[in-house]
Amino acid sequence: MKPSFFGLIHFGLLRGASLLVPGIQRAEWRREWNSELWHVRHSCRLMEGASWRAEREVASFCLGAFQDAFCLMRQKARADKSLTASKGSASHCMLVLGALLAASYFMTLLLPGVRAEHFLSKYQADPGLVMIQNANNGKAGPTISSRQFRAWAGRRQKYFDGLAFYRITPEVVSTAPHIQTGWEVAGASSNLFALLGLPARYQPPGDEAAGDFPKLILSDELWKKAFGGNPNVAGSIVSVGSRKARIVGVAPAGSWRLPGRVDAWLLEPDSQLAAEGVGYVVAHLTALGRAEMWTTRVPITANIADGSEDDLLGVSLDRDSAPPWAVYMFAVMLALLALPAITSVSLGESSVSSHRTSWPRRLCRWSFLIAKFGLLLPIVYFASIDLAYWSVALTPSSSVYIQLTASFSICLFGLRWVLKDQRQRCPVCLRRVEHPAQVGQASRTFLDWNGTELMCMDGHTLLHVPGLPTSWFGTQRWLYLDTSWGFLFASPDAGIKNEVV
Amino acid sequence: MVTEAKLSHTAAMILQAVDAGFVYGFSIMEMTGLPSGTVYPAMRRLERDDLIRSQWERQSIADAEQRPPRKYYKLTPAGRNTLESSRKRYPLLERLIPSESEEKVRQG
Repeated sequence: MKPSFFGLIHFGLLRGASLLVPGIQRAEWRREWNSELWHVRHSCRLMEGASWRAEREVASFCLGAFQDAFCLMRQKARADKSLTASKGSASHCMLVLGALLAASYFMTLLLPGVRAEHFLSKYQADPGLVMIQNANNGKAGPTISSRQFRAWAGRRQKYFDGLAFYRITPEVVSTAPHIQTGWEVAGASSNLFALLGLPARYQPPGDEAAGDFPKLILSDELWKKAFGGNPNVAGSIVSVGSRKARIVGVAPAGSWRLPGRVDAWLLEPDSQLAAEGVGYVVAHLTALGRAEMWTTRVPITANIADGSEDDLLGVSLDRDSAPPWAVYMFAVMLALLALPAITSVSLGESSVSSHRTSWPRRLCRWSFLIAKFGLLLPIVYFASIDLAYWSVALTPSSSVYIQLTASFSICLFGLRWVLKDQRQRCPVCLRRVEHPAQVGQASRTFLDWNGTELMCMDGHTLLHVPGLPTSWFGTQRWLYLDTSWGFLFASPDAGIKNEVV
Repeated sequence: MVTEAKLSHTAAMILQAVDAGFVYGFSIMEMTGLPSGTVYPAMRRLERDDLIRSQWERQSIADAEQRPPRKYYKLTPAGRNTLESSRKRYPLLERLIPSESEEKVRQG
């Protein structure tokens, strides 16, 4: 049915009034008024037919919608105001700290670098594992040829009871017909993962994993990128260069901490390793070998095929960087030592008069302070971990430096904030004192009082903070207000609740 | 101690109307003779103060009667207590707005 001219006016009036209604209530408000309008029009037409008077009555009904909308708007404004007023309260402070803690913990769960670090903290490398490298070459690079490795592996060793080799080469890999990509593939001894003690996820049962093809283990990053994190990828056959290989598992994220970026490990018997090129050798020391170890290094002299000797170095693979919790504890201790240098550790409890707060109030104040410390410390831990391990690409030593710096800075300034915040909270209601007012003149510091006054908005206290500490007014003091001050702080809403309409 | 809200005469009339069975905005307007700009804001405040509660009528009922659904209001226990004290404050309230059933008997 086509709406009449008056119908459009009524509709426009309600629509206009609805714009004053807070967004969250608008849909419900329109529904009620539209429904009521229908009934009003129906009733007016029944009584008076389609007359000018009936339309005027309906229009006056619609004009009432503006008053209703204003009422809701005022209610919303009052609610917002009371929310703003609660901003300085103790519960608001706890809520903000709780939200920060939840956010930092949530980030810890999400960041892949943090998860990798968590895995590493569970995975303890065998202290007997060493990476063999050239002693004359300061940097850890591929220095051992596969021929040399095979010669060592074939001999009976006094100092090692396990040796593994890997060499990283770029390979063209075909995961499906006509799909070719470039991967960094480590051609490795078949015992590499067993020697390192690394697990491979999604491994198929023995028969499936066995076969004529070499085994291929994917890195977690590649598995997610190239296979979309498919857990059924194990058992698939792919072409690595000119050879076929069977995928037998996925290495846990961040578990590979040996030199070289690797997308996949092609595990082959030592006899099938490529003869040319140099790579890395990982060895496991016997008890005799470990006795030769000096801190984290062991000097090795190796006989070369041509009869000469080569000086090598075995560097321990045991974690050489401190775990995150140890770095955190150290940073917290440093921050506690540095704290008195940047702020007063006093809580500013002194009072102008002899008034003392009751013990439940004091208990409440102390509990609040302890709760703030209790929330700040885990925030520091999780935030520093998030910053230090946000990327798996960061080296362990750089992560430690970032964590140390971050946890020290956040802890130091966080502790400073906790103390400063506590000093500015009313001892009675724990609200932050507000509205600072400068009193006195700086030039008269030694003759008269000069400083800042802040007031508790609930009318409990006034805080006097000296502009320049003097021998007679060194620290801040609280002035407890009696009930005669009450009328100044009466809430403007106090009378509304008891008298409606 | 919980203090009981003191209602103005208008609010008490609206509360009495809801109690008497006039349970939606337009019927309250008709019964009390108050304009929409007074009745609806008053009902918002009564609802805010938990003296009345609103509920939408089921769509099927409205469809059967070929009209839009209505928002019905009813008294809460706190509203009933407040109305009792308002009746003592305004003794003519019950005579001014009799219950819907009494109204029908009188008309009949």
